Parts: sequence; structure tokens; C-alpha cells
Amino acid sequence: MISALLIFLALVLFITGQLLLKHAMESELYSARFMKFFITGLSAMTSSFFITLGLLQRYDLSYLYPFQGLSVVIISLLAAAILREKLTARLFFGAALISVGVVLVSLS
Amino acid sequence: MMVTLKKFVLNPWVQLAFSVLCVTASEVFLKRGAVEAPKLGWRLNWTGVSGLASFDVWIGILFVVASFISWLYVLRFLPLTVAFPVSNFAHVLVPLSSWVFLDETISILRWSGIGLVLIGIFIVAKPVARMEEKL
Repeated sequence: MISALLIFLALVLFITGQLLLKHAMESELYSARFMKFFITGLSAMTSSFFITLGLLQRYDLSYLYPFQGLSVVIISLLAAAILREKLTARLFFGAALISVGVVLVSLS
Repeated sequence: MMVTLKKFVLNPWVQLAFSVLCVTASEVFLKRGAVEAPKLGWRLNWTGVSGLASFDVWIGILFVVASFISWLYVLRFLPLTVAFPVSNFAHVLVPLSSWVFLDETISILRWSGIGLVLIGIFIVAKPVARMEEKL
């Protein structure tokens, strides 16, 4: 139960971190706005990294990695919804194939 | 000559490729370092902190930092809906380099996963690449 929660938390922090960093890099470098998004993004990525490291000591990579595969589809959807990026059917289809591929790579 | 080189290095697609190569190299070095790391008592062992005693782990960390910096550069120019799917090329390179450098095996299921990731990246990157050719 706790581990399921930690896996979910690591995934959410990783995705949030990517979106925050993308947002930061689109702002004027070193401005107050940039610093705000960059520091929160970096903290989210770092926390996710250490939670994953802790989980890796207890579980197989093949159990943890499929969840990372899901991040491709989720990040594409959220980038379209939150960052207003253009998401075509083609891009979404490609992202979905990559997600399935990453899950298969990690299962075996 | 210098101008061409500068243009090449500053191309976000080149930086994306560099970032993926660094991620792959970091995984190989971190894995090698983690295996040779001394076993600490159970109280500290779960953090992986004992890996810091290995030289390979420090090389791995250098590659992690390098990949992160070039990834930030990529984010400045490419949309996340393109850059992030393409960065998953690491999921092709890591099994391949584990096979070559670490003597790990690749099952048929894993080969098919590698194939799907490649097709997906091709689908995502092709229209964008064509758009840039026109510019």
C-alpha cells in the first residue's frame, strides 16, 4: 500500500517537474518568474529521483519501470492542456506507441 | 568552419541526441558502480549512498549533470510533446548498451518493445523534421 503510494508520488513529481522546467525555460532566463519555476521544478525532479532510488532497493526494475512508460502519454496530454502546446492525433499516437514499447522493454 | 561547428552544437536536435547519449552512458556507469559498491549495514543500505565509494558512480553522476543541462537547452526550443517522446530513445539505447557493455541478454519481448519505441519516435519526429527542412 505504502509502496503503491510512493510509486504514484514519484510519477507525479517527475511529471510535475518536467512541466515546471519546460515552463521555466520558456520564461526570460534568470527573471523572478524563471527562478520560481526552475527551483520548484528542480526540487520536484530531485525528490522523484530519491524516492525512485529508495524503491529500487526493494523492488525489481521490471515492476517499477512500466509506470515510467506511462509518463510519455501523460506528459503529452498535460503539455497540451496546461502549456497549450499543439497535440495532433499523430503526436498522440506516437507517444502511445512509445509508452507501450517502454512497458514491454521493462517487463521482460 | 567555427560558425558551422557553433551552428551544429547549438542545434536543439543535436543537444537532444547528446542528452540521450549522456543518459545512456550514465545508466551503464551507475550500474557498474552499484554492483561494485560495498554493502553497508541495513540501516543505510536502502538509500544507495554506498555507491558514492565507487569511481564509476561519480562518472555516472557527471553524465547525469551533462544530460540535464543539455535537456534544459532542448526545452527552450522544442515543445514538450515532441522532445519528451523522442528522449525515450534512451529506452532503446540502454538495453542495447547493457547487451554490449554489461553482457546482459535481450529477450524477444524486449526486442519488440525496442521496435515499438523506435516506430513511435519515428512517427513523432518525422513531421517536425520535415517542417524544419522547409525553413
